[in-house]
Amino acid sequence: MNTTSDWDPSKPILEIENLSISFFTRLREIPAVMDFSCAVMQGESMGLVGESGCGKSTVALAVMRDLGKNGRIVGGTIKFKGRDLTHMSEEDLRHIRGSEIAMIYQEPMASLNPAMKIGAQLAEVPMIHQGMSKDEAWALARQIVADVRLPDPDRIINAYPHQLSGGQQQRIVIAMALMSKPALLILDEPTTALDVTVEAGIVDLVKALGEKYGTSMLFISHNLGLILDTCDRLCVMYSGEAVETGNVAEVFEDMRHPYTQALFRSIPLPGADKNSRPLVAIPGNFPLPHERPNGCNFGPRCDYFEAGRCDARDIAMSPVPQGDRHGSRCVKWSEIDWNAPFKAKAAKPKTPIGKVVLKMEDLRKYYAVSSGAFGGGAKKVVKANETLSFEAHEGETLAIVGESGCGKSTFAKVLMGLETATSGSIMLFDENVQSTPIQKRNTDMVSSVQMVFQNPFDTLNPSMNVGRQIIRALEIFNYGKSDADREARMLDLLDLVKLPRAFADRMPRQLSGGQKQRVGIARAFAGGAKVVVADEPVSALDVSVQAAVTDLLMDIQRENKTTLLFISHDLSIVRYLSDRVMVMYLGHVVEMGTTDQVFSPPYHPYTEALLSAVPIADTKVVRKRIVLDGDIPSAMNPPPGCPFQTRCRWKTQVPGGICDTEMPPVRVLKGNHQIKCHLSDEVLATMEPVIKIAAE
Amino acid sequence: MTDPLSWGAIFLAMAVRFTPVWIALVVTFALSITFKRRLALYGKLFDSPVGMIGFAIVMFWVFTAFFADMIITHDPLGQLSGLKNAVPGSPLKNPEDASYLYYLLGGDHLARDVFSRMVMGARRVLTIAPAATLFAFMVGISLGLPAGYFGGKFDTILSFVANLVLAFPVILLFYLLVTPEIRDTGIPIYLAAVLFLFPILFLCVLWNSRYFTNKPRRNLYVGITLVIGLWAYSGLAFNLDPLGVWSMEPNLLNVLVSVVFVNAPTVFRIVRGIVLDLKARDYVAAGQTRGEGPWYIMLWEILPNARGPLIVDFCLRIGYTTILLGTLGFFGLGVSPESPDWGSTIDDGRKLLSIFPHPALAPALALMSLVLGLNLLADGLREESMKD
Repeated sequence: MNTTSDWDPSKPILEIENLSISFFTRLREIPAVMDFSCAVMQGESMGLVGESGCGKSTVALAVMRDLGKNGRIVGGTIKFKGRDLTHMSEEDLRHIRGSEIAMIYQEPMASLNPAMKIGAQLAEVPMIHQGMSKDEAWALARQIVADVRLPDPDRIINAYPHQLSGGQQQRIVIAMALMSKPALLILDEPTTALDVTVEAGIVDLVKALGEKYGTSMLFISHNLGLILDTCDRLCVMYSGEAVETGNVAEVFEDMRHPYTQALFRSIPLPGADKNSRPLVAIPGNFPLPHERPNGCNFGPRCDYFEAGRCDARDIAMSPVPQGDRHGSRCVKWSEIDWNAPFKAKAAKPKTPIGKVVLKMEDLRKYYAVSSGAFGGGAKKVVKANETLSFEAHEGETLAIVGESGCGKSTFAKVLMGLETATSGSIMLFDENVQSTPIQKRNTDMVSSVQMVFQNPFDTLNPSMNVGRQIIRALEIFNYGKSDADREARMLDLLDLVKLPRAFADRMPRQLSGGQKQRVGIARAFAGGAKVVVADEPVSALDVSVQAAVTDLLMDIQRENKTTLLFISHDLSIVRYLSDRVMVMYLGHVVEMGTTDQVFSPPYHPYTEALLSAVPIADTKVVRKRIVLDGDIPSAMNPPPGCPFQTRCRWKTQVPGGICDTEMPPVRVLKGNHQIKCHLSDEVLATMEPVIKIAAE
Repeated sequence: MTDPLSWGAIFLAMAVRFTPVWIALVVTFALSITFKRRLALYGKLFDSPVGMIGFAIVMFWVFTAFFADMIITHDPLGQLSGLKNAVPGSPLKNPEDASYLYYLLGGDHLARDVFSRMVMGARRVLTIAPAATLFAFMVGISLGLPAGYFGGKFDTILSFVANLVLAFPVILLFYLLVTPEIRDTGIPIYLAAVLFLFPILFLCVLWNSRYFTNKPRRNLYVGITLVIGLWAYSGLAFNLDPLGVWSMEPNLLNVLVSVVFVNAPTVFRIVRGIVLDLKARDYVAAGQTRGEGPWYIMLWEILPNARGPLIVDFCLRIGYTTILLGTLGFFGLGVSPESPDWGSTIDDGRKLLSIFPHPALAPALALMSLVLGLNLLADGLREESMKD
């Protein structure tokens, strides 16, 4: 086996030069990555950031030489410790993969073999690569499991993957990658499938392990905040090209590429506000790989575009002087005034908040689950929603925040009438709909409460064209007298969501994610909806598109005085657009109040942890780091007493240990700010803000 | 008196007889390949060599069935003296008996032309097998959709019945359904009455769920379906068509009913499985939240998205049904004793197989190639529908 003795540690551990990768389909060659260069030094972590389809994962797969049978490296070199990976034999690659370069994928369950015990999967790595004996390998596995901060390592190494939670599985995948002490670790969106509070734990772990073992990292993410938290350097990619690269702090503060700038302006940072300082969406759409423009790929969407220069020829990366290996792929970077304050979009009037349209009181939803295979066995009750009480006003945006399993989707189903509540009342326009399933609701009621779904790839029926799907909603809502009426209204709706009218004849697969989400919005507003439940409507979209779709929702809301129930786990966007916030945990509302009340102390301990867990892509923001232990308990088997007591860091401040035994009452603080917690007023008053914006 | 033809000459002569089929095949392929980018899944088939070969074989037999009257050299039921068990390429003893002077693939034990019987057999097989499969799909889909969508007791009972039918030995079931004693009880007729009702119900529900907001159009579509459907139903199931257009011989009815009966449970299970997967999609929830009825969601939101696996299974199942019909024919449970369908012909030829293999071999090869073609076609479709 080729040793690494001839490699000089002062040289980059991974050096990619002018890499080009194409995928070959039966129609054409699709260039996925063009002229990509980057270097990762020993112990350094490099972030690759960009929107979906920009080629960031392709670069990672190319480093592993795992491009599938359609992908091919068509130019450039990838040097790992001085050896060129692009021309290495399969045999040599096998020695490197998993031993010197390890990769961590997005979906932890898919990376683990469900039929093997954790210990056996981990032990396999050193047994194959170093020929370690079985006992030694298991001992090492146990030690590494302890290193990734999993409780009770002896139990874990004898468990099967399905017995662990998502967060624990991802820790095992990281442990597996570390088994042979790799020199380079590639992380491809390692936390995207996890909840934010769990993500925070993983990010901490990855950082600590990087320091402990001196591993270099290639960290791929679409989340700029996460990159700021984890990386030393970053490389911003757009449509197959690296557009800007450099030191993280430098790129975040002194960006030298219009795309990077536009990206930062489109994400909701603290300080942005839907009325006074709206986000600036990047106009247009991401170009398809075979429809890229000449010259600068970002040209058609760029504010500084200059015909004849930007679209004349391919643009090379040019170094930014005085920078720390800072480079920008822009011909005009030296001419643009980067400090010019951006033209804030015209502030929009605040929507007046009207009368109460929706009022829930003491709503409960329980599910009976039987555990036996034939319907027998002990019945268990899952309490998906417990004592939910709130009101929503006309024209108001009420955000419902919580991680998976907190009951927010169940709440939406009950409101829509897809499920009926176990007890309590739902007053919708002064009508009690608590026990009225959707089949029994009249058309007006149904059309006035509509929903926007999360997954853009799932929200439209793939076998029906866009126009037909909107017209169907109109037919069901008894809109118009003739087909021509409905056709005209459908085209109006497309205008409303700012889609070209020609899209009516398109099939969903011909639309991008953001466009599909717009169709979903048009469909929801087809019957003049008064209350719209938006279930994470932008979380699956790219950041540059998120801003546009959010803006659209706000505009329609302003026009129609719609009540928007915005379900989300992303606190940045919640802070940006909501008037009031409701935080849920295991079926309980733990905190509710106006956005300002919830985002400033006193907090509920869970809200505090949630706020601290959300990565913020702003170097000026100082965050207090609160990492919760463990995972969210199962709703099947909630802890006694306060639902949050198993993970609460304030628990010791409550005398008498009543957190373990008693459900805390709802306390109303100043300004109708509600908190469900045992902490005394004095303790609450000592809480410090989690997020501070450092003075400039 | 001429000499028997050599094998080369026999194949040449057969190739010439198949001229209309060749022309049709060339036209089909030329048109399809030219426009393949606009033809969705069907067009993609022409990117897969396996799929193209399968499609070519299947279309060969389809066109053969279609042009059978032009291809046959003799009356498939006609017996010519002196040609009993004649070897392939035998010339006619009396040239004035018929216009074509040779038995290209010889004669069978009743001195009928094997080649013409094989060609005519294609017509029988290619009408019964797809029709039986289509009925089986109608029944399977109509029951599988609600079973998967609603779940619960309804699903448990239907799945249990489906498993019961699947667990019963198929051949024994056929024997039972076709024996005269059972036929006298009227069970096949009742079964037919139930099974043939499904397509009509299916279409009526399909139109109603889609057009109930537009009463005149709904009434028109449902009306047309009911008139044509019940007319055909009365003829096919009870042989009571007042105009005498739709009718089916009792033997054929038995065979059709048995084939539908044993195939439907498998289709039911496939559909149910797909529905269980698709019903969790957001577009289904979107349908529910705007107050769509369950049948609209099943038939218009879920079913079209299940078409990929169903089309593939349809192709495979036609092949399976073809073999089943062959098996039935072979056991003498076939359509009618005189019928040239491949199964019965193989059975006829079986008795003298060691001396004169050709009467059984020709239909056997035809059957094999058709099933092979259907399997290849299904493989090609599956492969292509998986890609992008």
